[in-house]
Amino acid sequence: MNVAAQLRTTAVPDHGQGRLEVRNVSKSFVVNGAPVEALRDVSLDVAGGEFVVLLGPSGCGKSTLLRLIAGLEPEFRGSISQDGNAIAGTSLDRGIVFQEPRLFPWATVSQNIALGLKNAPLSDRAKREAVAAHITLVGLDGFAQAYPHQLSGGMAQRAAIARGLVNRPRLLLLDEPFGALDALTRARLQVELQRIWAHERITMVLVTHDVDEAVLLGDRVIVLAPRPGRVSRIFAISAPRPRSRTDDDLVRIRNDVLRALGDGEEDGSGGTPISGPA
Amino acid sequence: MSDAALRTTLEPRTTAVAGFRRISGRVSAAVLRQLTKLGWLLILPAIILPIWIVGTNHGWLPEQILPRPQDVLHTLRDMLASGELAQHAGYSLRRVAFGFGIGAAAGLITGSAMGLSRRVDDYVRPLFTAIAQVPAPAWIPLAMLLLGIGEGLKIVVIAKAAFVPVVMNTSAGIGNVPRAFIEVGETFRFTSLQMLRHVVLPGAIPPIFTGLRYGLTHAWIALVSVELLASSEGLGYLLVWGRQMFWLDTVLVAMIVIGVIGFVSDKILAVIETGLQRWRIDDVQ
Amino acid sequence: MSSSAALGSLGRGLVLPIGLLLTWEVASHSGLVNRQFLPPLEHVGATAWQELASGELLEALAASLRRDLLGFVFGSGAGVLIGLLLGLSTIADRVVMTWFNGLKQIALLAWIPLISLWFGFDEMAKVVFIGLAAAIPVILNLVEGIHATSRKLVEVGEVFRFNRVQFILYVYLPAAMPSLLTGLHLALIYAWLATIGAEYFMAAGPGIGGIIIAGRERFDMDLVMLGILVVGSVGFLVDRGASWLERRLIPWRAASALA
Ligand SMILES: Nc1ncnc2c1ncn2[C@@H]1O[C@H](COP(=O)(O)OP(=O)(O)OP(=O)(O)O)[C@@H](O)[C@H]1O
Ligand SMILES: [Mg+2]
Repeated sequence: MNVAAQLRTTAVPDHGQGRLEVRNVSKSFVVNGAPVEALRDVSLDVAGGEFVVLLGPSGCGKSTLLRLIAGLEPEFRGSISQDGNAIAGTSLDRGIVFQEPRLFPWATVSQNIALGLKNAPLSDRAKREAVAAHITLVGLDGFAQAYPHQLSGGMAQRAAIARGLVNRPRLLLLDEPFGALDALTRARLQVELQRIWAHERITMVLVTHDVDEAVLLGDRVIVLAPRPGRVSRIFAISAPRPRSRTDDDLVRIRNDVLRALGDGEEDGSGGTPISGPA
Repeated sequence: MSDAALRTTLEPRTTAVAGFRRISGRVSAAVLRQLTKLGWLLILPAIILPIWIVGTNHGWLPEQILPRPQDVLHTLRDMLASGELAQHAGYSLRRVAFGFGIGAAAGLITGSAMGLSRRVDDYVRPLFTAIAQVPAPAWIPLAMLLLGIGEGLKIVVIAKAAFVPVVMNTSAGIGNVPRAFIEVGETFRFTSLQMLRHVVLPGAIPPIFTGLRYGLTHAWIALVSVELLASSEGLGYLLVWGRQMFWLDTVLVAMIVIGVIGFVSDKILAVIETGLQRWRIDDVQ
Repeated sequence: MSSSAALGSLGRGLVLPIGLLLTWEVASHSGLVNRQFLPPLEHVGATAWQELASGELLEALAASLRRDLLGFVFGSGAGVLIGLLLGLSTIADRVVMTWFNGLKQIALLAWIPLISLWFGFDEMAKVVFIGLAAAIPVILNLVEGIHATSRKLVEVGEVFRFNRVQFILYVYLPAAMPSLLTGLHLALIYAWLATIGAEYFMAAGPGIGGIIIAGRERFDMDLVMLGILVVGSVGFLVDRGASWLERRLIPWRAASALA
């Protein structure tokens, strides 16, 4: 389907649903009796319908941040709110696709996806149709009745993406969802994800290690620095959509981001240095 | 003084203080945890004991069903004081120790051989399976006809009971070490001995200990059955005797002692097991 | 494995049993050992035929199997209920579990005198004892299975806002299913052991255990061996049946497909 056409036909209902505010969030774990600071003073505003990409070296707290936003870790300092309401526990308004597929081993692909709709206010028929549509969406036709142990790593990850999408949360958190996929499938799913995003106006926060993916998908790319995890740079990407990977603007920003990542904690050029929270 | 020097002189003290706080905090938290655990533990007796005491005192529970708790305690004390209990327990413990020792050792050897060699497994497995199908009590009459009712009978029956689960779990544990780990070893060109020492045994320790613990449980079951059927001493004999005299307190005391010894010996095996595989602790989330 | 290799391992497997039987037969006929202790195989066969023809063996077997099954059904049923309660309720777990772990250390057969004092020697007492034998492994394995449910899968349920019932139905029970089936399998094995034990010590009514005991009292080695053979065959069939069911009931086996 043509994304531009989609964009035009979709009236954007601007009631700001899916707006996310992360304020001065810090989180530490106790490892072997000693505290480990996973996140320090992270602040982040995501507008409703925005596509934000988190980028940063391994262990810098990306997964932890997503888990906090999802409401899976009750203990942290600072505040997180969605559409003005402080989050308390998980919510069907916020979906998450974990870094590992986490499929229920005793359920088939279609049962796994259907479990995501257990508490959705839909008729049984609508649920069945949604499940089937999402199996098609992630290219798993013919594997609806397969068990997770019969899938390859990439197929399992696609099933997990379908399960995260199926109940159309207002805010979807994606933790390296395409990490285990081949380049072709990855490119196709990137396009599909953009299409769904544009069509449904779902706010998305995506974690990735892939800079190309980041600049292709993101309205903003947020670079985190490690130990303790904190925001180091924010790149706004205003390139029009649909985007092409070879677009000059994108290539330039990509190089800037790469440089920022490479520079690590030293101050380099490019991007907007972050001052304290607004 | 340079910055670095300052840091080296200051740091040990600050970290020591912080470390102490951390440790003392951890200790008192641990004490608190143990105390709350104890509190939860006492709830059940706090409900049952009063019912038992009041019930037996008022005769709602006839003495043939449950003796008064104070009578059980009395019997326990008397039998402890007279040395009678220690004597019976001593007999039983010795039998289990010998029987389990022999059975488990034979089981470890047989099980390892079966796990390491496909050929040995082929030869031994069917006969072993046939023997394993018959539970310990069923062998006793046959063994009594062949061996009489002396100590030999008891040791053999107990050893056989311990042997079976040890063989099963040892052979499975050694035979089922994940292919992936073996392959890691192969890429490093481990010799068979290195493979055994660094890959096979560490992976097989949990199932081997499962086998040993089952073996011990079965050894106790076999002990009690053989003492019930053919013995004039030991905890099993105490049970039969108390049963025949309708001395419920004696029966209960014997059961308690059997349970306590079983509990302690199982714990000992568990402690040895955790000692042998400290790496597993990191595995727990 | 190729079929010739399979045949080879089958052949090797027969070496020991056949060798053993041959030695037995030769020893028995040679007069080196007392025939009373080691009767020739054909004598055992004759006794088996006789017992079968008189219907006594089948009657005893039917009686044993009936109480075995009855005890297993009641015991494992109670075990599932108790296991669910202990596994799912933190309070029940804290209050009861340690005591239960102590209680299970009392060697199974040691319960017989107490149970026979409470329930007498007849069918009821035996079924209660067999039920106890079956309940213990079911409870233990079910609780362990529920507690071992992967935290990662529980989090998925949290994200989907599962309620308590949904958590039990879609997460804890399926996660504990392999463990529960292991418990039921063990329950079958222990119930059969308990059946023999109950028939030895609460000797009233027909049963395989009774036949073995009677054989010993009459110094009738044929009968004892026949009894053991029957006990072993039943144990073997029950065990194989349970393994087969276990495999059939868990199509997802490779439960490590988490990461
Ligand atoms: N449950 C936990 N217990 C203890 N420490 C944790 C826990 N979860 C995360 N951490 C620590 O927090 C830090 C950040 O971890 P996190 O998983 O968020 O990293 P990440 O940025 O997602 O890395 P990757 O790109 O490799 O997935 C790490 O130092 C990690 O050791
Ligand atoms: Mg991560």
